[in-house]
Formats: sequence, C-alpha cells, structure tokens
Amino acid sequence: MTMSVEEGISKVISGIKFGIWSPSEIRKYSVVEVQTADTYDEDGAPIPSGLMDGRLGTLEPRQRCKTCGNTAARCPGHFGHIELAVPVIHVGFAKTIHELLTVACRNCGRILIPDHRIQAIKEKMAQLKELLGTIPESFYDVVKREAKKASICPHCGAQQKTIEFEKPTIFREDGQRLTPSMVRERLERITDEDYRLLGYDPEYARPEWMVLSVIPVPPVYVRPSITLESGIRSEDDLTHKLVDIIRINQRLRENIEAGAPSIIIDDLAELLQYHVTTYFDNEAPGIPPARHRSGRALKTLSQRLKGKEGRFRANLSGKRVDFSARTVISPDPNLDLNEVGIPVEVAMRLTVPEKVTAWNIERLRKLVTNGPDKYPGAVYVIRPDGRRIRLEFAADREKIAEALEPGYVVERHLQDGDIALFNRQPSLHRMSIMAHRVKVLPYKTFRLHLCVCPPYNADFDGDEMNLHIPQSEEAQTEALLLMQVQDQILSPRYGGPIIGAIRDFITGAYLLTEKSTMLDAKEVFNLLAAAGYEGPIPPPATTDPKPMWSGKQIFSLFLPKDFTYFGKASICRNCEQCLGENCPYDAYVVVKNGQLISGVIDKNSIGAERSESLYHRIVKEYGTDYARRFLISICRMINAFLTMRGFTYSVDELDMPEEVRKKIREIVAEAEKEVNKLIEMYRSGTLKMFAGRTAEESFEIQVMDVLAKARDRAAAIADEFFGMDNSGIVMTRSGARGSSLNIGQMTACVGQQSVRGKRVMRGYRGRALPHFKVDDPSPKARGFVYSCYRDGLDPIEFFFHAMGGREGLVDTAVRTQQSGYMQRRLINALEHLRVEYDGTVRDPQGYIVQFRYGEDGVDPAKSDHGKAVNVARVIQEVKLKREMKKKASTKFVEKKLEEVRDQITPKLFEELREHLLASDLDEDAVEEVVFNVVLQYKRALVEPGEAVGIVAAQSIGEPGTQMTLRTFHYAGVKERDVTLGLPRLIEIVDARRTPSTPLMKIYLDEEHRYGLEKAREVSREILYTTIRDVARKISISAEHLAVVVELDPNMMRDREVSVEQVKNAIHIPGCEVEAEDDRVLIYPVEIELTDVQKIPERVASTPLKGIPGVKRVTLEKEGGEWVIYAEGSNMSRVLKVRGIDPSRTKTNNIHEIAETLGIEAARQTIIEEAMYVLQEQGLDVDVRHIMLVADVMTATGEVRQIGRHGVSGEKPSILARAAFEITVPTLLEAAARGEIDPLKGITESVIVGQQVPVGTGVVEIFMSPPTRKEG
Amino acid sequence: MPKAVKFSIFDHELVPQHILLSREEAEEVLKTYRIKPYQLPYIKESDPAVRAIGAKPGDVVKIVRKSPTAGIAIAYRYVVEG
Repeated sequence: MTMSVEEGISKVISGIKFGIWSPSEIRKYSVVEVQTADTYDEDGAPIPSGLMDGRLGTLEPRQRCKTCGNTAARCPGHFGHIELAVPVIHVGFAKTIHELLTVACRNCGRILIPDHRIQAIKEKMAQLKELLGTIPESFYDVVKREAKKASICPHCGAQQKTIEFEKPTIFREDGQRLTPSMVRERLERITDEDYRLLGYDPEYARPEWMVLSVIPVPPVYVRPSITLESGIRSEDDLTHKLVDIIRINQRLRENIEAGAPSIIIDDLAELLQYHVTTYFDNEAPGIPPARHRSGRALKTLSQRLKGKEGRFRANLSGKRVDFSARTVISPDPNLDLNEVGIPVEVAMRLTVPEKVTAWNIERLRKLVTNGPDKYPGAVYVIRPDGRRIRLEFAADREKIAEALEPGYVVERHLQDGDIALFNRQPSLHRMSIMAHRVKVLPYKTFRLHLCVCPPYNADFDGDEMNLHIPQSEEAQTEALLLMQVQDQILSPRYGGPIIGAIRDFITGAYLLTEKSTMLDAKEVFNLLAAAGYEGPIPPPATTDPKPMWSGKQIFSLFLPKDFTYFGKASICRNCEQCLGENCPYDAYVVVKNGQLISGVIDKNSIGAERSESLYHRIVKEYGTDYARRFLISICRMINAFLTMRGFTYSVDELDMPEEVRKKIREIVAEAEKEVNKLIEMYRSGTLKMFAGRTAEESFEIQVMDVLAKARDRAAAIADEFFGMDNSGIVMTRSGARGSSLNIGQMTACVGQQSVRGKRVMRGYRGRALPHFKVDDPSPKARGFVYSCYRDGLDPIEFFFHAMGGREGLVDTAVRTQQSGYMQRRLINALEHLRVEYDGTVRDPQGYIVQFRYGEDGVDPAKSDHGKAVNVARVIQEVKLKREMKKKASTKFVEKKLEEVRDQITPKLFEELREHLLASDLDEDAVEEVVFNVVLQYKRALVEPGEAVGIVAAQSIGEPGTQMTLRTFHYAGVKERDVTLGLPRLIEIVDARRTPSTPLMKIYLDEEHRYGLEKAREVSREILYTTIRDVARKISISAEHLAVVVELDPNMMRDREVSVEQVKNAIHIPGCEVEAEDDRVLIYPVEIELTDVQKIPERVASTPLKGIPGVKRVTLEKEGGEWVIYAEGSNMSRVLKVRGIDPSRTKTNNIHEIAETLGIEAARQTIIEEAMYVLQEQGLDVDVRHIMLVADVMTATGEVRQIGRHGVSGEKPSILARAAFEITVPTLLEAAARGEIDPLKGITESVIVGQQVPVGTGVVEIFMSPPTRKEG
Repeated sequence: MPKAVKFSIFDHELVPQHILLSREEAEEVLKTYRIKPYQLPYIKESDPAVRAIGAKPGDVVKIVRKSPTAGIAIAYRYVVEG
C-alpha cells in the first residue's frame, strides 16, 4: 500500500535476550531517584523526586516530558529508581538463591565439586553440546545434586551447614537467620566459571543481582492514575505499593542513621522485604496479600502478567483490531455462498483504502464528494505526502475531489464485491474464519447463506458474528486466494465436504427428485429462473394430458454433462439384498452422463459433512468454484420449489389410529411384565449375575436393557406406521432434521430418563419421589416415561424428564470447557510445526518430527476422504471416455507401473496394480490411467509451509465438543466398563501413567486359542488370585487358638487352586500352618499377640497365582478364536505367560507399551487408541492428524504429555512458554539463565508483532539485488 | 509354571523393524535432510528395540513402519543416552 510514511525499512527482531537488571544498570537507566512517597501536591502538580515526577514521562495531553521533550503520544516513558537502605531478596529468585547457597561453599564461595570433577563436567558439557546441540536442563540438575552432597568444601575444606529455605524469602543456616546482606555477600563470592557450570549466565545475571539493593521505578505509563468524575485522583496499585516501599525505606534509613536498636531495624527491614515481595508478587505463599483500603487484594507485577486476563494472554497473544464489526446474523438464501450481507450503517463505518488511478478517478471523485454521511462515500483522502484529510470536517469536498490525482489514496465506504473476513466464535477450526464478498444490504444484521452454517456452527437464535476488512492489497489477495468459502468446502479434518445442503434444502431436494414429482411448463420455468439456469430444456417426460417434466429431469440440468455416479440415498433401508437400480424405495442413486436416472437426492447425495457423496464427487472432479455454483443453483431452485409446493409439519401428523396406539401400549406393558419378572428374580436371588457386579447392578443393567428395547420397539412401530407422506418422516429419512428416535418420543413413548447413566435413584432415601414406596424398583418409580410428548407427560414423568434434561445441560457445559482446554493445549504443542520444502515436518529449529507428512505427504484437505487418489474413479473415467481396443498385456501394465514406482507410495502402487490387472483397459488407456494417477497423487501433496500442526490440533480439538462426556460405556459385552469419549481422548494426549480403565487384550497361541477350556486354563494363570478370592471366611478362632481360613470349594475349583497350594502360599514368621480338608489353620507359635490381630488381613492378601494388577478376566470369541480381555494391565508379566500369543497381545497403557516394546510401539498405540476413540464416537478424523500428535509425543524417545509438563513445557521459546501456562516463573528462570528467545515460533512472533513463520509467512526471496557494475 | 519360549519384541505386531545404520549410511541420511544428528527424533539407549539391535548413543536407527497411508514408511531415530 502506498502509505508512504509508514512504509520504510522494516526491521526484523532476531531474538530477545533475557537477563537480570544489575544495580549499576538500574541506576544508569534511571532518570530520577525517587525519594518522596507522595505523588501530587495540592495543585495537582507532580512532586519533584516523587512517584509521579515529570521526568518519568507524562500522561497529560498537552504536557511535554521533562526527560525527552516529547508529548504523551511520543514519549516512551523513563525509569526511575529507589535506593534501598538494606538489600532485599527478590521473591521470584528465592528458590534459585536457595539452590545457589546449597551448592556453593559458605566460606570460599566455590562450587562444592572438586577440581577434577569440574573438569570432567566441562568435558561432558562440551560433548553434550556436540551430540545434542544444547545441554539439557536435566544435566544441570545432576551437577547441582552432586554439589549438594558435599559436606566439606573440596577447595578450602570448610565444613558446610544445611541451609533451610522458608517461603517466601527467609533463609536459615542451622537455624541461624541469614539476612539478605549476608546472602548477597555469599552470592558475590561465587565465581563466574562455577556459575556457568550450573547453567547460568554471569554476564547477564550475576547471582548477587537476585538480591536487590536498588529497585527500578517504572514510568508512569505503566501505572497511570485515573481521575474520577468527582475530581479525585485514584492511583494505580503499583504506585500504592511503591509508596509503601519508599515510606518504609525512609524510616529504615533514618533509624539506621540514628543508630536505633537492631531489633527495630530488623523489624523495619522485614517490613521492607514484605512490601518489596508483594510489589513483585501479591500471591506469594506464606505471606498475607497486600490489600487496598477497600479490602481488595492489590494487583501487582506478577498478577499483571499471569492468566487469561494477564498481559500475555489478553494483550500480547490476542490484540484488538480496527476495521471490524459485530452484529446478529440472519439467513438469506438469495445470497451467494461466498457473500455476506452487511448493513449500510456498518458499510459506512468500515473503509477500504483505494489507490487513485486514471481508471477509477472519476468514481472516487464522486465518492469523495459524497463524503462520510452519504452512501456510497468516502471518509479520508490521503495525499501522496502522507497527509490525511478527514472528509467529515472538510469545508469543501468538491474541491478535494477535484484535487484528486493518481497517487492519492481514498478511504472509501465498503462496497459490494469488497473482501471481508467473517468469523464466529469459538473459532475451533480454520473454517471458522472465511473470506466473503461484501454485499451491502438494508436492515441491521449480517446475512449469510444457509449452507455456510456448518463450518461456522452457526444458527440464527441470536448468534452474533464478527467481520474484518483486510486493508492492504496483500491481505486482500491472500484472503481471496486462500480463504474464500469455496476454498474451504473440503474439510482438512476428513477430506470431505463440510459445506453442503442442509435442513430444508435436503427436504426440498428429496421432494423434488421423488418419483411422483411432475412439473408443468410454468413450474419448470419458475424453478429454472430462480436457479438462474440458462440453456436448453429437455423434452418433457410425458405430454399427456399436458407436457410435464419429472423432478429428476430438472435436477439433472445442473449436473455436469459428463458426470457419472452411483450411490445410496439416505432413505436406504439397508435391505438384505440390494436391488440396485430397481430399488423399490428409489434409494439407489444413479447418475449417468449427467442424467439422474434413478434414486432420490437427499443428505447422502448433497448434504454437508457427508463424504463420498454425489456432491463430493462434483467438488473433487469439477473444482470448488463449479461446486459452489452447483450448490447455489440447486439451493435456489429447491428453495423456489419448496416455497411453491409448501411444506409443514403439524401436530395432527403425530396422530395414530387407536389400534397402533394399542400395539404400542402392549409392547410397553409386555416390557413391564418382564421387568416384574426380573424384580421377582432379583428378590428371590435367582437373577442372572454378571461377573464382578453386585446383584443390584446386574438387576439394573437388565432392567434398563429391557426398557430400552421396549422403547425402541414402540418407536419402530410408530415409525413404521407413518409413511413417506408424513412430513416428519420425510425429514428424518432424508436426513434433513431429526431422527426416528425423535419421532418415537413424540408419538410412542419417551422412554427411560437417566441420571449419571443410571435410572433415577436420587432424591429421598431409597426412592426418587415421596409418591413411591421405599426401594420400589418398578420402571415408573425410577424414571421411565410411558407417555409420548404428543399425549403429554404426567407430573411425575415431567419431573424425571427435567432431571434428565438438566443433566444434559450440565454435561454440555462441562464438556465444552474440557474440550476447549484440550484444544488449547494441542494448539500450543503443535502450532509451530510446518511442512518444509523437502516434505519433512519440522519445528522452527529444524528438528524433524516427520520425515514425510502423514507418511505419504498427502494433504488430507486435498485427499479424497483420506486417500490420495481414487483409483477406481480414475479408471472409470478413462473407460467412459474412449472405446477400448485390445486389452493390454500384463507385461505392458507391469512395465508402465515400474516406470512410476518411485513417484507414488507403495500402497498406491499396489492398489493401482490390482485395479489395472483386473480391468480390461487397452494400452493407451493404461498409460492414461497411470499418468492420471501420478498426476492426481502429486496434486494431493501438501504444500511447503502448510501449518500441519495447527490443522492437526484443530482436527482433533474441534470434534471434541461433539463427544460424549459419559465416562463409561459398555463396549461389546455388558460386564466390561471402558473409558471412552472425551475423557479417554484427554487421557491419551495427557500421557497419563495409568489409564482410568487399564485393559489388556490377550491373544492365545495355536494350542489354546480354539477351545474354551484351554483358554480358561490360560486365563487362570493371568487372573490375580489371592486367598481372599477363594476363602469363605478368615477369622481368629478361640476354639482352635488359631487363625482359621475357611475355603470355598466352588471358588477353589473355579480358580483351580488346591488346599495344598493355599497352605504353601502362607508364610508368616513365627507361625505354623496346617491344612485340613476345607480349612487352613495358622497356629501362632512365637508371635506377639498384637501381631496375631494382623494375621487375617495378611493372609487374605496373600497371592496364590496370576498376575498382580489383573482384577478380572473375560473370555470372548472373536473371529473363530478365544481372546482374553483382562481388566488391569501388566504387559511385561503377561508376555511371559505360557499359552498366550505374545505377538498380538496389547494393552491400552501407553507407558507400559513404551517400556516393554519400545517407543515406536508406543507411537503406534497412541495412533490406534486415539483413532479407536474417535471412530467409536462416529467422528471422522484423518489418521494423519493423529500421527502427527503421536510423532510429537514420542519425538524425544519417551512418551511426553501434550501440555505444560511435556511438549509445551519444552518449547525453546520463553515467550511461548510464558504465554501458555506458567508465566512468571518461566520469565524469571529465563532471566537467571540469560536465555535467548529466537522468536522463530508462532506465539512469540505474534507477541512481538512479526510475521508468523507458517504458510505464506515462510516464503522468502533468496536473491540479492544485482550489484550495479561500473562502466 | 513352565518358562515361555523366547519372544523377540520384533515379532510383536506393534513393533516395526529397527535397523542400525552404519556411520556412512547415517551420514547419508543426515546429508539428504541437511541436518545435524540431534535434529532427528530420538530413541533412548534403554529402549527395548535399541537394546535388541545393540545400538549405542550417537547411532542412527532406521525404522521401517507399516503405514495406513503409504503402505511402507521409513523414519530415522537418533540414539541418545537414558
């Protein structure tokens, strides 16, 4: 842009060095020594040498700074200082100081490590530097630990004493208090060389600087005072704190000078320490926070930086912007997909700079003449010399317009066709901000096309959205090329369309393409006109009695002429034998050469978030812009059609004849009978029990199962009764809205209400409501709703329903929080990863995370539902295009394939081979197919610079919100609980030591895998069995003078344990063990009486067999073999058990895998576990995203957490770490170590306001301007 | 309980093939990617797979994985202490 003034040489900050300010530096930078604790005098003028001294800078609008002479706008502010009467410990460094005191000699100040060891450490440091590039933090910990061990100084021989540290700032040596001055003296004695061994930088952070003798006074801009309406000045919290410091400091100095008793001086010094401590950190442990007069705790330095509202997250990572707007959104099906409707009022406030050229000068003159208050107008004119003319105050706008010349810039109102970024929070993925074309419209809402609701996750129940206007031409171009709605149709999460038809568009499409839909000429013309169709009209399907066209014919007009597609519609009933094109329900979609021959169009063909649909094929094969036009045309047509036809859903459509209602009542009554039977059985104790469950739990599970089935059956009857002539059914079957469950609940039976996944039990003791008897287990008493919504709920049912409903609401609230935090952590851990020009994925330091992105280098957004190339489709296309001659020989195919072997992945190669050999293509066709496949593969590759880390984090985080929070889920068999859903996903990325439900899947060897008995044998070796498990009773018997273990023969048989084994397992010193037939007796011989009391417990937990940790085993038949599922995990032990197949046995404990099978196996397990969780929840996420997470987690050779104790905590950037979680300690640590932030990552770049090094930000010009040659 | 037959972790379906690279081969890898060895992903000396093939810190291990996307994928890891 020609903003000539602001354009200049832009410098890049290459790094930020952190360090501690030394006293001499503080004095050097200081412009004033602050000595007076006051701020202003009675006239409101700053007191010289006071806290508001004019030399510190000025806040008043027309005053000039006494130091630099600038006005408030230009003066950067200047530091002052306070000379402390006695040194004071800096709270933030107290822990570091303590460490230094313990590793350095109290006498000579040398590090407590002998010289020869120092030499060795230095060598090791050099070696590490060579081997690893840097010296890991852990190395310094080892050095410190070594030094701490010494009790005598190896250099001077002085005996060392233990130094205790009491939070926040007190040090004691053998109980003797060390004053800050003593501490300071000791720190001064540490040599630079020793200091370096501990990883600190003496040049920028001498240890004695951690004890303050001077403190800097920040400029007034840092702590501005506010003038209230009443004229009373209110000072900033920091100013208050500084006042305290100065006051005490002065009293202390006076007392010292007056030679006051040391007790007074010590007390004052302590008080000074308190004030300085709270000045830095008002939440320091061990001291009460300093409070304002009102009782509010003061917000001092540390609090200013920390947390979500702190400087880092609120002001540095997220900045406020100009040229933005926000208002309520509303729908407008008449807009284009990539348009956004903007109110005129907004358009008149937001401006775009437009350069004046010979071609637009007349138009711009008009705008300037119109001025800011008449649309379309302009607000500013910028002259080539950089002067801005504000048209609002211009006396004669005509004259300014006349003066316009090429080279001027006009900041004009927003106009149709301008580019705008449109955004809805929460911005969970990149499709949450897209570029739209401006369409200025009347009324006061932003308007958008309904099809872009899914990516924004927007509805119109009061949602508001934000709008930003890119100002520079670069920004506009980039938005236009990369961010437009049509460029975002395909989601990088799963490689399918996220933008497509929704709701009524689907209903309409279904109704339009239904077999029975026939349209006369007038209707057809209306529809086509609405869609903006221009072109020939096909011959009518019938001419009797008048020309009529079928809906399918009309729909076909919008399909590409060479388009062919086969697929199933959403209304498909999944018949046992699919009749294909002859489907009786018209659910098999066939498009040949652009003609919809059979099948109805519904969600499966044109819906959003549906992969491999008709619409998806169009996007992939004809490009996104074509797809946009296709979608918009059919949406407009469907809109017109549905308006013409009319579509309602009314209460009477929920009516059912009495006989159907009776049938439903019978089903529910039957279920009730069954439940009564269960109750009977439960009470008599004959109920079937599940392993490891109490009778109550088993009963509940069975009751819930019966009731759930009854509800489903009732709903099925209702669903069946209503046909496709029922609007509700049309919507559910076509996928427009709702499910058959909703229909069932409205018309048949609402069903069981649950709280915490169980029937409603809470409330009174033993019952939910006083209307029931205590412990009444009947369906009605525990929240089963017999009624349907149409008939209405009775008060009791209503109450239960409200309970269930409330839980749902709470669940959603909790879930959004949890998944939000997970996403923040994922983003933070992965944000800096990008694809380099060589195809590797690296961090900004050049460390490789993946050698090829996703192992095949394919961008999921450009893939076809995860696959690089749809080979079958390529072959089909070539086949359709040409006449086949002689089938190509196998040899020819192999030869052609061999030519491209190294250009495609092994998997694609094999797939292509299989397809080609199975097809009957001729030589030319083979050649074309191979060529196309290679071409498409290369087109699907990721582009260098792509921020794959962020995309991966978004792709995993975004669906998090849609996951269930319910921890337990019955996977397969009912007896087994497995943590799934969001909690499990969080567990995986957290890299927890043990999962909340450890589980092993144990395969068996050839010998044991086929017979249940054989399998059970192995399982007995695995299940952990103690005496408790086989004993009926363990008691101290007075009769026998012994501890008696009564064994349960049933359990003994079950676990295959003999009495002899039990006897041999018991080893208690001083006791004798004897076995009788069903008993084991333990006689105390030489043992204390009190110890006898402990024997039963000890005996009970004596292991007999099995593997510790395995609490329960279940056997299951899978694919013809028996598999053991074990609850509790102990991989290393299980692998050694005879009879198992060690090569397939797995656990869900990632750390255990890492220990027994190595980091690569752990990586594989992370991928498998995460994919399993997502798939189980029905969420489609590309493996490549999961792989990236797994690769990052395992990059250091051990499993690291995504979060502050793992990946994020090890980021090289100080600013990025500070912005993530532990702000203040991170900064202080960096200062002490004299670390440098290289500003190569994302967060850091944002913080300092530099271009972000991903995407278009990585592009650099590697060219030096040609040097002008002489002559 | 009788002792089970010797089981090699490389027989496990989760464990990909690990190959110890010679100095020259490692050098070649570093050259292709234009990196220092420490810019590779790491694998610990104590890792079961590393112990099985007897790699020492400073070595580079080539890993041949079965890949759901590419069929076969190759990665490298740098053996570090620990």
